[in-house]
Amino acid sequence: MKKPWYIAMVAALAALGSLAFLQGQTVDEDVDTSDAAQVNIGPEGQPIAFPHNRHAGDLQLDCQFCHFSAERSSSAGIPPVATCMGCHTFVAGTERQEEVAKLRGFWERGEAIPWNRIYKVSDHVSFPHMRHVSAGLECQECHGPVEEIGVIQEVQQPLTMGWCLNCHIEQGATRDCTACHY
Amino acid sequence: MSEGIKRRDFLKVLGVSGAGAGLVGCSTDQVEKLIPYVTPPEEITPGVATWYSTVCGECPAACGVWVRTREGRAVKVEGNPHHPVSGGALCARGHASLQGLYNPDRLEGPVRRGEDGEFQPIAWDEAEALLSQHVQDAGSDFVFVTRKEGPALAGLIESVVESVGGSRVEYEALSEAPLREATRMAFGQDAVPTFRFEEADLIFSFGADFLETWLSPVEHARGFARSTGIDEAHEKARFVFLSPRLSLTGQNADEWVPLTAGSEGVVALAIAHALVQRGADGGPYSDLIEAYDAQAAANEAGIPAETIEELADAFQAASAPLAVGPGVAGQGANATATNLAVLILNAVAGSVGSTLHVTRSDLAAPATPYRELADVISRMAEGQVPAMVLHNVNPAYSLPPESGFRQALGQVGFSVAITPHLDETAALCDLVLPDAHTLESWGDSNPRPELWALRQPVMQPVPHFDSRSAGDVLVRLAGRLGEDLGAETFHDYLRNRWSDLHAELGSPGGSFDAFWREALRVGVVEVDAAPAQATAMQTPDRALTFDAPELEGDGMALVVYPSSRFGDGRGANKPWLQELPDPVTKLAWHSWVEIHPETAEELGVRRGDMVRVASPHGELEVPVYTYPGIRADTVAIAMGEGHENYGRYANGNGVNPMVLLPATVEEPSGTLAHLSVRVNLEPTGRRYSMASIEGSDQQYDRPIAPAVQLEELREGNIEEAGGYPTRQELQAIGGFVPITTEAEPQDFPLEGARYGDYEDSGSTPRWAMAIDLDKCTGCSACVTACQSENNVAFVGKDQLAMGRALQWIRLERYYEQIDSSQPGPVDIRFLPMLCQHCGNAPCEPVCPVYAAYHTPDGLNAQVYNRCVGTRYCANNCPYKVRVFNWYRFSEVPEPLNWQYNPDVTVRTEGIMEKCSFCVQRIRKSENQATLEGRTIGSNEVVPACQQSCPAEAIVFGNIRDPESRVYQVSNNDRTYRVLDVLINTQPAINYLRKVTFHPVESIHV
Amino acid sequence: MATVTEKTRAEQTHPDVRSHGEVNADIMRMLSPPGTWWWVLFGLSIAGIGLLAFSWGNQLVRGIGLSGLNTPVGWGAYITTFVFWVGIAHSGTLISAILFLFRARWRQSIYRAAEAMTVFAVMTAGLFPLIHLGRAWHAYWLFPYPNERMLWPNFRSPLVWDVFAVTTYFTVSSLFFLMGLIPDIAAARDSAEKGTLRQKFYSLASVGWRGTDRQWHHFGKAYLYMAALATPLVLSVHSVVSWDFAMGIVPGWHATIFAPYFVAGAIFSGVAMVITILVPIRKVFGLQKYLTTRHFDAMAKLCLVTGIIVFYAYLNEFFMAWYSGEDPERRVFWNRLWGHYWWATWIMLICNGLIPVLLWFKRVRHSIAALFTISIFINIGMWFERFVIIVTSLSHEFMPFAWGVYRPTITEMGIVIGTFGWFFFWLLLFIRLLPPVAISELKEVLPPPMRPKQKTEASR
Repeated sequence: MKKPWYIAMVAALAALGSLAFLQGQTVDEDVDTSDAAQVNIGPEGQPIAFPHNRHAGDLQLDCQFCHFSAERSSSAGIPPVATCMGCHTFVAGTERQEEVAKLRGFWERGEAIPWNRIYKVSDHVSFPHMRHVSAGLECQECHGPVEEIGVIQEVQQPLTMGWCLNCHIEQGATRDCTACHY
Repeated sequence: MSEGIKRRDFLKVLGVSGAGAGLVGCSTDQVEKLIPYVTPPEEITPGVATWYSTVCGECPAACGVWVRTREGRAVKVEGNPHHPVSGGALCARGHASLQGLYNPDRLEGPVRRGEDGEFQPIAWDEAEALLSQHVQDAGSDFVFVTRKEGPALAGLIESVVESVGGSRVEYEALSEAPLREATRMAFGQDAVPTFRFEEADLIFSFGADFLETWLSPVEHARGFARSTGIDEAHEKARFVFLSPRLSLTGQNADEWVPLTAGSEGVVALAIAHALVQRGADGGPYSDLIEAYDAQAAANEAGIPAETIEELADAFQAASAPLAVGPGVAGQGANATATNLAVLILNAVAGSVGSTLHVTRSDLAAPATPYRELADVISRMAEGQVPAMVLHNVNPAYSLPPESGFRQALGQVGFSVAITPHLDETAALCDLVLPDAHTLESWGDSNPRPELWALRQPVMQPVPHFDSRSAGDVLVRLAGRLGEDLGAETFHDYLRNRWSDLHAELGSPGGSFDAFWREALRVGVVEVDAAPAQATAMQTPDRALTFDAPELEGDGMALVVYPSSRFGDGRGANKPWLQELPDPVTKLAWHSWVEIHPETAEELGVRRGDMVRVASPHGELEVPVYTYPGIRADTVAIAMGEGHENYGRYANGNGVNPMVLLPATVEEPSGTLAHLSVRVNLEPTGRRYSMASIEGSDQQYDRPIAPAVQLEELREGNIEEAGGYPTRQELQAIGGFVPITTEAEPQDFPLEGARYGDYEDSGSTPRWAMAIDLDKCTGCSACVTACQSENNVAFVGKDQLAMGRALQWIRLERYYEQIDSSQPGPVDIRFLPMLCQHCGNAPCEPVCPVYAAYHTPDGLNAQVYNRCVGTRYCANNCPYKVRVFNWYRFSEVPEPLNWQYNPDVTVRTEGIMEKCSFCVQRIRKSENQATLEGRTIGSNEVVPACQQSCPAEAIVFGNIRDPESRVYQVSNNDRTYRVLDVLINTQPAINYLRKVTFHPVESIHV
Repeated sequence: MATVTEKTRAEQTHPDVRSHGEVNADIMRMLSPPGTWWWVLFGLSIAGIGLLAFSWGNQLVRGIGLSGLNTPVGWGAYITTFVFWVGIAHSGTLISAILFLFRARWRQSIYRAAEAMTVFAVMTAGLFPLIHLGRAWHAYWLFPYPNERMLWPNFRSPLVWDVFAVTTYFTVSSLFFLMGLIPDIAAARDSAEKGTLRQKFYSLASVGWRGTDRQWHHFGKAYLYMAALATPLVLSVHSVVSWDFAMGIVPGWHATIFAPYFVAGAIFSGVAMVITILVPIRKVFGLQKYLTTRHFDAMAKLCLVTGIIVFYAYLNEFFMAWYSGEDPERRVFWNRLWGHYWWATWIMLICNGLIPVLLWFKRVRHSIAALFTISIFINIGMWFERFVIIVTSLSHEFMPFAWGVYRPTITEMGIVIGTFGWFFFWLLLFIRLLPPVAISELKEVLPPPMRPKQKTEASR
């Protein structure tokens, strides 16, 4: 009587099938959008342990106070050292003053701060910041609760196409491919 | 310019960051660095382009350009609309200047020849010390050879040379000395005339390639297109080309008089003679003119005498005729005489002062003729030149070997080359100083008395190369020589000169700083034109022989013409220019010899056969290109290829025709005679795989590039579009016709079209284009402009020969009528073929993954990252405008990739691509419009091809808007759409038919 | 016995087969350990697979540019060979399913090999859509699967139809094949010695077949249904493949005749391939009494019929091109005959149009050697037919200035040849491991065994 192992075979097939289906469901396998995942930061962490929670959280600084071009350019802009020095010429920092010292060091040497990039969409995606800012989107919706995070070290969101698309559909924004891909 | 200095400071930082950001589009595993500025420059917003105005340095025409920079990197060059020379347009060579800037073969630092004869790196200060010391020692024997430079640099060189009492020679391989000398003799003025093609209604060109290299091509092309292009009043200037070979300029002619090489002068005089017979005033040249009657000239030129009479009639009937020529290719032993003859013709016809103005002033930088260099060479050979500097000149390549320059250079005590990259000449020098690229350095230009323009660095010097601008080097040299220029840098020196100029001009715009800043911003300073100079003819001060010169040797006359892509060869190491198919032969990456099909038959050779071309002075092997546009007794080879030591993209491509020529000095102008030998061709029996994009040059009566005769057009006899019999038949017998063929581009989406997201269509724009084939000159500037804007990779000779060219625009060229045996109409049709963005696109339904689909605003989009590479879309595209990335062509050596446009995806291997209507520019304008709370304007978006077109043949916009220019231009009897009636693709590109003077077969469109 | 057989010899398909036992013995002998020649062929096909792996791997790493393809010729040897193998795949189902439904008794002894050939040919053809992709690693985008990007394949694209048509065909034909095998595998199981790996494999594959009436009953029904299910596929698959071209607007492709034209061509080439394969097998295994000239005669007739249809299609294409009055259409066909690829066209016309005419003669149909030669010519001709349709059309399209020439490269040749290795690899394994001739069904058409006693009664 060989019945039992027929059942086993059928069961195995079913299992494989559903697995394949689930595979399809999971965040896609497309290598092209996986850059976001690749963007880890180096072993050395950030050159300066910049506490976003201190500035955006406690001090209630507006994001665009530093990321100055977010509302008028496709790129949000990384604050120039001069912007930091605008305050830190006078503010030596309460705790962790050594970090502020590093900053001043960069300023005196006339060097730029080599920040490690955290948020990056694939090269075949163009993300116009200004469109999203002018649409009234909160920075946090893509960048997570920055005001609570200290040194930003990992991507807060998947930054995958499906993730973008969900929002676009919810917001009734365009779903045209060439809105982002060209 | 205080902020200018500041900009350069931060750019220094950016230069470093660029290395990281340099690899646009290549995802990298290591951590990506974000490099912010130390001090924010006020005019820069990250992600937003900054434009700087400067002057193009690719040819002496000195077009004013705007350079687009992103985060401190130059990514695109465009014509400066404020500049009267460029008028906002630019040629292919201008676009390719970026590949000179980012050329991987640029010198990484100064090098000196060591004892072992090899170049050794050397420190800048040491090098400059060496230079000054040798110049000092040489004293009055010091020679400085340079090319035609702007006033400031020329003045600086002058003063440096004077400080030691040396001599300065200016050398341009493409010399207009004969024209200049003729003008001096005819009008008593040391000047090169200005030619106003725009105002002419009849143009005779005695071989001058004024659309390609002659004097100021972009300016001429604009004027030419405006006059010969048909206007609302159905008026159109006529263009007759008199030359043994049809250059690209000649291919635009309405009539071709194929006269024997060198007989241009006598023909011009004969026409003048005929005019005098018809009552015109010969002036002081009457007696001379008398000597040349039509019959004699006709015999010499190998054309019927009636032709000359007819030409004379036409010239007399014309209200604003213009004759130009002969241009470099026609410079024989009688070059000055020929130029003089053409000037006489103009004078007799009364064109002087109307279409021809004797005002162009090159006094600021006189291009001294070859004769002076020849003298220097003989002195060099005798070892009388202890030290010489060669700045941006390459005589070792561009002179015939018989000039003996190479050997002579060996006899020079200490030879210094100041050049951005090694070339044949620099390779022979003792010391090579890497010059900054023109886009990295200061300078100025004065193409006309009333026109001044500043050249400014558009970015910090490319960090890969430790270069210093010749200006700065020379200012310091002057200092070391004890010459006080009152300037530390060339920038200061330039400012000083300009403050003097500012004073001369009576201080326009108030303070000098304001004037200076405005000059930099606008890019051009126009001052009151010099008072009209006397243009009365003067009696010639020396006797000239006008007859066609005896060509040395036997066989066929050899025409050596300047390449429209490389000029005298200086552009040869730029892959874009190598890859750009020659507008005439459609060949790229190599040389060819043009011979008439009949001649080829006699020789028993086919297109692509290698032949040995032998002149009394040298020989070379080159493949045959059979060309109906050349006389059967003439062969032609282009200059510019055949480099041995000019960089990876130039070396070993093709041949240098100068080896066939003697170093004959033409008198009295002293230029190098290009037309001076006959050559024999013998087959080698070997084949050569030619890199051509040309399939067939015939239309086979298909609705591709129709034309209409002027009379027909005036009478309105132009058949309606859609009158294609087969389709009507189909409909008549109830055959299946998918979608109505009466639709216009603006009727979009077509009912039944199912691609794209069309909820709110009707409100969306329909982007469309109109191309006027009566204006298009086939110059191919759009091809390179597109390549530069859209990160289109170059593929190289072998791939191109396999039929894998990647350019998004294919400039098709069809022969309708072309006969070199007798004078008559010539009809050659140019058709810029790019993606037609069909409303009913065959490529869209066949793509299995929706990589090709239609956008709501009417674009036929290609989503690169979705493409899997089945190539079905390309197979199904009737226009064959889809190109495929067979390899990773986009991986180019540093720092060429710095040029990549950050707004456009860089394509990797296995992906289909094609014209996108510059969608990135559309989206940018949309973003801008949204920020400003308005809708996008109908004429707001200007794609790269339209922007660059010197003939103003291309118009782009939203054709749904009746106010838009594209709608208005398309609203024309001549409008048709390629192949539409045949396969109902509903293209978004309207073409306007070419208009001819002779009857044409009508093709149903 | 003799007398009986004399009388009925004419009607019998296998006059020389004496008893059922003999059948078992003969077929089982084929499964005995292979001889050197088999190892030689097997080695060759392994080498072929190596060539395939190397060429394809190289192409994946360095880029599809290793092929000779270009603009305008975007498809070449790969798609040609794809269509070629799909075509080969046709006869199997035709012979096994359709001829089964039509009760053509002569199919019994050849259909097993034909079916096997079908399955392996589809397996081979299936490689090419992957091979010809610019980015093969994204091939799965052609399948509809739920994904967060909400992207689906374009169901209007014939290439997507292809995906479904070919996968369906593969599934059904392999099921049909495996099912038909069950009783014979059981026989092989019983004859194999106990405990060997072989025996285990057979007992697994014969899924507990014991030959009871009930099992035979179910088997017969199921087989009938499968045959009915497989029949429409014979027509559908190659129609869909033909639409890859007919749906395009390329002159030379865009024709309504394509579906029947391709199906006929497929059967034509398929039957030819069956002959090409069976002739050597018959010789080597001494199956003369199972594969009689009668079988080959029947197949030759099938070839002849389909060949005539195909040749008609050729003529029809040329006529329609002329009749269309469109220059692009006309010039493509003119170019086929006299243009750059004239040689390919003439090979096609001669191999598929001229040579099969010989099949009108009975002497030719009955000469195995002649049939074998002709069948090989037909195989060659049919490959070139696809080459001509694809390449000559693409190289001479609407825009004369964009006309181009395509030359296959080493890599393409390597892959094309390599896939033959792949195909024969499976085929060789098959004839060694599974009964290549249907034992049970063969018995159905043999005269029932009789005892001598009955014979004497009959003579009275």
